[in-house]
Amino acid sequence: MMRSLRARLLAGVIGGMVLLLTLFSLLLHAMIAGALRSQFDISLASVAQILAASVESDEDEAELEIQRMPALQDAGRPTYYQLWGPDGQVVIKSPLLSAHNLPRADTPVQTPIFRTAQVIHGKFWRIVNLRFVARPSESDGENAAPATEERSFTLAVARDTSELREQLHFLQWLLLNASGVVITLSFLIAWWVVRRGLHPLNSLAAEIAAVRADTLTTQIGADNVPSEVAPIRDRLNELLARLEASFRRERQFNSDVAHELRTPLAGIRSTIEVALARHREATEYRAALGDCLEITQGMQCVVNNLLLLARADTRQISFKNEPIPLAGLVSACWYPFTNKARERCIAFENRIPVKMTCESDAEHLSMVFSNLLGNAVEYADKGGRIWATARTTGDSILITLSNTGCRLTAEQVSHVFDAFWRGDAARLGTGTHCGLGLALVYRLVGALGGHVIAEVQDGVFTVRLTFPSTGNEKGPGQAQRSVPGRGLESTG
Amino acid sequence: MRLLLIEDYRPLRQSLTKGLHEAGFAVDATGDGNEGLWYALGNEYDVIILDLMLPGMDGLEILRRVRSQGRKASVLILTAKDTVQDRVTGLDLGADDYLVKPFAFEELLARVRALLRRSYQEKNPCLEIADLRIDLTAQRVWRGTEEIQLTAREYALLEYLAMRAGQAVSRTGIWEHVYEFNASASSNVVDVYVGYLRKKIERTDKPALIHTLRGRGYMLGVKP
Repeated sequence: MMRSLRARLLAGVIGGMVLLLTLFSLLLHAMIAGALRSQFDISLASVAQILAASVESDEDEAELEIQRMPALQDAGRPTYYQLWGPDGQVVIKSPLLSAHNLPRADTPVQTPIFRTAQVIHGKFWRIVNLRFVARPSESDGENAAPATEERSFTLAVARDTSELREQLHFLQWLLLNASGVVITLSFLIAWWVVRRGLHPLNSLAAEIAAVRADTLTTQIGADNVPSEVAPIRDRLNELLARLEASFRRERQFNSDVAHELRTPLAGIRSTIEVALARHREATEYRAALGDCLEITQGMQCVVNNLLLLARADTRQISFKNEPIPLAGLVSACWYPFTNKARERCIAFENRIPVKMTCESDAEHLSMVFSNLLGNAVEYADKGGRIWATARTTGDSILITLSNTGCRLTAEQVSHVFDAFWRGDAARLGTGTHCGLGLALVYRLVGALGGHVIAEVQDGVFTVRLTFPSTGNEKGPGQAQRSVPGRGLESTG
Repeated sequence: MRLLLIEDYRPLRQSLTKGLHEAGFAVDATGDGNEGLWYALGNEYDVIILDLMLPGMDGLEILRRVRSQGRKASVLILTAKDTVQDRVTGLDLGADDYLVKPFAFEELLARVRALLRRSYQEKNPCLEIADLRIDLTAQRVWRGTEEIQLTAREYALLEYLAMRAGQAVSRTGIWEHVYEFNASASSNVVDVYVGYLRKKIERTDKPALIHTLRGRGYMLGVKP
């Protein structure tokens, strides 16, 4: 199968042209040949009719007045004749026939019958047989016997078809050569037309080839694109726009990662350099090492969460499907934060029904709850409240985690699931808060087949998690934001 | 010399404050943008070391407001943002230098010293007043051929006076440029430190270099 569009178009155009020309030539040939043969036959029949009209007969004999027919005397293009009497005996025949005889056919009276036969001198002859009733001889006068079919004569007139055949051969040669020339010219014209017709595609291909990762904003085929190619161009431009958006997110993410790692790296480096700048007491070195350890732990948190994010994005995490008592899991996840909550006088209330279970992966679901609860403890107002609820709705389970003291706007809340995004108040935690916790929640919930949205109302920040009550059998779902996100944002 | 450090990452802020302090600078440090602006507008700083992404107020906004208020302090932007556009934006808004994290602390010190020299229109890293020679880079001091050992605070005081050699320097000016904002103020602490410096610098066989100007403060230089 031809893969080249140009070859296909050329083959189609030329093939169609050859077929049409062949049919046209055959038809033309048939029409002209028919006309020539018809003309030949008419001429031959005329000669036969004239000859028949010139035959006079009486009871004893018949007479043919051939001296009035100069065509019959032409030795160059002879016309042979032969006349049979009513009894089938040859009355007269062309002297040029010598020993040869023309074929005789019994035909209805005055109905010429034509045939082609190779009868004389190895040539093809066109023969017409005509049965007619001869007029009575003038010498008989009124005593002449009446002309009846019983007294009919049969005449055969033959003429050489060489000239006709030559004409037909010339016609065939003419049509064949004309067709060849027309097909050659058609090929050249079609090649040129196809080449010009495909030029926009070539231009488009050249423009696409020139697109690089840093020029994805280029609009392809902005001008002079045929309407047939315009949809392809439009789809390509849409694809480029999606690629650009994806690349931009990637660059922003890389920039955020670099930033998140650069700041603690700067902290480690300056801490070590300042510590080594002079001789110090052991306690000072110990403090510097402690600072470095704290920074390293923060970096480890960033790196671990980045790895988890990458794995969740590429579905490299394997999930179990097990019945999980939700209230128990949330309480277990809350436990590590109890001290911090006590310090900040934050009350936690687990309102999830004790018997409620959810089919999911306990390990990763506990990561989700831990991140959400850790976030809530961090950002709830001092003396505020945190509470968890759950209920079944249809074939899904809706879990909510809420905390008071939220100072984020609705617009800011739309970014809480973006990697490295931190609300203004959280920027104090550069290097210690990863800025990845809620992004990880978003990815994990999606990978677990659930949905997550966040909203803020009257200073209460609420995260709503929806999981299928039958677990993750239908495959991973897609987490959702309360407001469409705008990609990653750098924050510190 | 008095510096303001506005950096929200606590470990980095702490280590830089310590290092700069040990290098002889008076350092005020904060991790909050609003507080940083308050410090910058309320005090005379020689150099402000400014992170860009801060809680409370963005670093560029702080820079804009500091410049719009006519503050002449040199500003060194210290940030993890390293694109050309970031640098151009920062410098166009009136920053004097730009240092990308992570960085060598020595480089930060060198850049701060360069900014100080530029502020005082002194391109030579060595100051010479009579036979007193001060190496601003190595922070070493000689009188004649004899090297004089100074504490960080004494060196900071000498450097401040040397940068204004031949000019009257008020006690308030010394206080503002040599001591941190949070240092406990004392009526004669400047006089005490000037006294310490005199003991180490002055020689009986050589002309006096530190002069008390009644009611105006002090002056470093040779009196005509």
